[in-house]
Amino acid sequence: MGAWAFYITTLLVYFAVDVLSAFSLNLQFGYAGVVNFGFIVFQAAGAYAAAVVVLGPSGGVASFQQYVFGARLPFPLDLLVAAAAGALLSFVVGLFALRRMRRDYQAAVLLIVSLIALQVVSADVPLFNGSNGLTGVTWPFGEFFGATATGQPWLYLIYSLVICAVVCGGVWWLSRSPWGRSLRAMRDHEDAASAMGLNITSLRLQVFVLGGAVAGLSGGLLVEYIGAWSPGAWGYAETFVIFTAIFVGGVGNYRGVMIGTLLVPIIFLEIPRFLPAIGYPGLTDSLEWVVVGLAWMLCLLFRPRGILPERRLRAPRAEGVALDPAPAEGGA
Amino acid sequence: MLAQLISSAADGVVVAAILAVAAMGFTLQFSLTNVLNLSFGAVMTIGGFTAYLANLAGLNAWLGLVLGAVAGAVATVLLGRGVLRLYARRHTQLFEMMMVTLGMSLVIDYGIQAISQNAIYGYTVLQAAPIRLGPIDVTPIQVAIIGMAVVLLVAVEAGLHLTKLGKALRATAVEPSLARSCGIQTGRVVLITWVVSGALCGLAGVVYIISTQSVDYTTGELFLPLVIAAAILGGVGSLRGAVAASLVMGLVTEIVAGFGGAAYSTVAGFAILVVVLLLRPGAVFGGAEDRQLVL
Repeated sequence: MGAWAFYITTLLVYFAVDVLSAFSLNLQFGYAGVVNFGFIVFQAAGAYAAAVVVLGPSGGVASFQQYVFGARLPFPLDLLVAAAAGALLSFVVGLFALRRMRRDYQAAVLLIVSLIALQVVSADVPLFNGSNGLTGVTWPFGEFFGATATGQPWLYLIYSLVICAVVCGGVWWLSRSPWGRSLRAMRDHEDAASAMGLNITSLRLQVFVLGGAVAGLSGGLLVEYIGAWSPGAWGYAETFVIFTAIFVGGVGNYRGVMIGTLLVPIIFLEIPRFLPAIGYPGLTDSLEWVVVGLAWMLCLLFRPRGILPERRLRAPRAEGVALDPAPAEGGA
Repeated sequence: MLAQLISSAADGVVVAAILAVAAMGFTLQFSLTNVLNLSFGAVMTIGGFTAYLANLAGLNAWLGLVLGAVAGAVATVLLGRGVLRLYARRHTQLFEMMMVTLGMSLVIDYGIQAISQNAIYGYTVLQAAPIRLGPIDVTPIQVAIIGMAVVLLVAVEAGLHLTKLGKALRATAVEPSLARSCGIQTGRVVLITWVVSGALCGLAGVVYIISTQSVDYTTGELFLPLVIAAAILGGVGSLRGAVAASLVMGLVTEIVAGFGGAAYSTVAGFAILVVVLLLRPGAVFGGAEDRQLVL
């Protein structure tokens, strides 16, 4: 396999992972209005969980790194564990972070969770090998197709695309279900939704945990491909790449979200690879983040609803009942 | 055991003093403008790097402290006047404003990372031999930091309650439109608040790197969780509350670190906020739903 084919395949695997993340975040943010500024932590939880359940018992062959638990679980248990880890952590965080409070406080609390989790995992070496991170993570089909996923990128691409399609389809279907409509109701008018009999606290926790499970799954999928995971991979800024993708694409519109994911984390962040290197190594990485921040601010300034804004949901017109024509889009 | 506790508590008071300076600045600008400014940590880093550069240029360390404060004030005014006003003119809501400050934080943090070549710089100024007081080791600089925090608390409180400007500031924080119709130039009040809170922020950045003896692009971002937690725990807008909450945070984080949980010291500080949040959400977050943007 040529270098180009390998590169494109790897990008597509990343795309599958990013689409999963973006769908999960869009469900939480675009539909339910939960501003998960700690999103990347739940992806990281899934990645670490998947890593320790495929690395095998701690202290064996891989004794150069230390981690908790350690097991060797077959497919699909590794991804299920990853999803469960994301969901469990979401549940614990959600119990205190989703309480009824100002939205900006809520976002700040989640950002704090993200910053602190990074410090803890970096400093507590026995947990997940500290800031060096875990390496040597294999994929679940080692005995059939070779030790690592990067040895068989096509196969892994198909595998990840299938998982991505199934899960994203599920998320999309859920968003259109009555449950999804109640999420929108909660987002647009919490008090009214509450008066209609919706349990806001429970609903918000549900969407947070569900999103966390998808985030964890995406982390597991990613770590089994790249084979390593360390605190460098989940800085607080990573969350905002996905947020920027959603803002660029369109908040609450899954087609827009897919376009945004293609534009921001894939095309935009890959362009610098093809530009001549400038300055010292690492300068382009830093500048990339600066540009992500600027893009984020420009989106908020000019297109706060994205390229493809959320489409209005229209109730089917009942026989003989004249409904008011829907007012123009936009506003809140 | 007891000696360890006392020694950790002493360290905690030092951390609390640094935290208090930052939390006072944070709570001051938050109570007036109602913007939850997530770029506060990035501005702290700016202050820290300014002091580092001043030291590199051969300037006195105390002058570096002043320059750090000036840099913090200038940066905060530029961000508040230049950037946030731009959004306010487009009727950006409070919540989106917080997202804007986060974008600013990304730009500043990683801009500094680009300029500083992603390296950690040692900042060993004002070091002196510790004085032994029973189980406590304390350096004269640490005493000076604590003294400075106390002086700043008294000075800002006095400024708020004894001067006409302070009165105008408190009035604007409570009811901006009424303040405006009473002839208070709220724009000027906001500007002065940016200056004062920015100076406190930059100063806190310098004091923090004096205490940790190094500076890099994450310096302020790693300190920000404690600052926000202290400001919220202390009750937004209350300087004394912010200082008291800083004291609690500082003591808890250092005592946890002293007893072997260094990795979890920040978590312990944050846990206090969470516990308060769970037990008495109203005490912390009550009645702030319908705040409006003041810029």
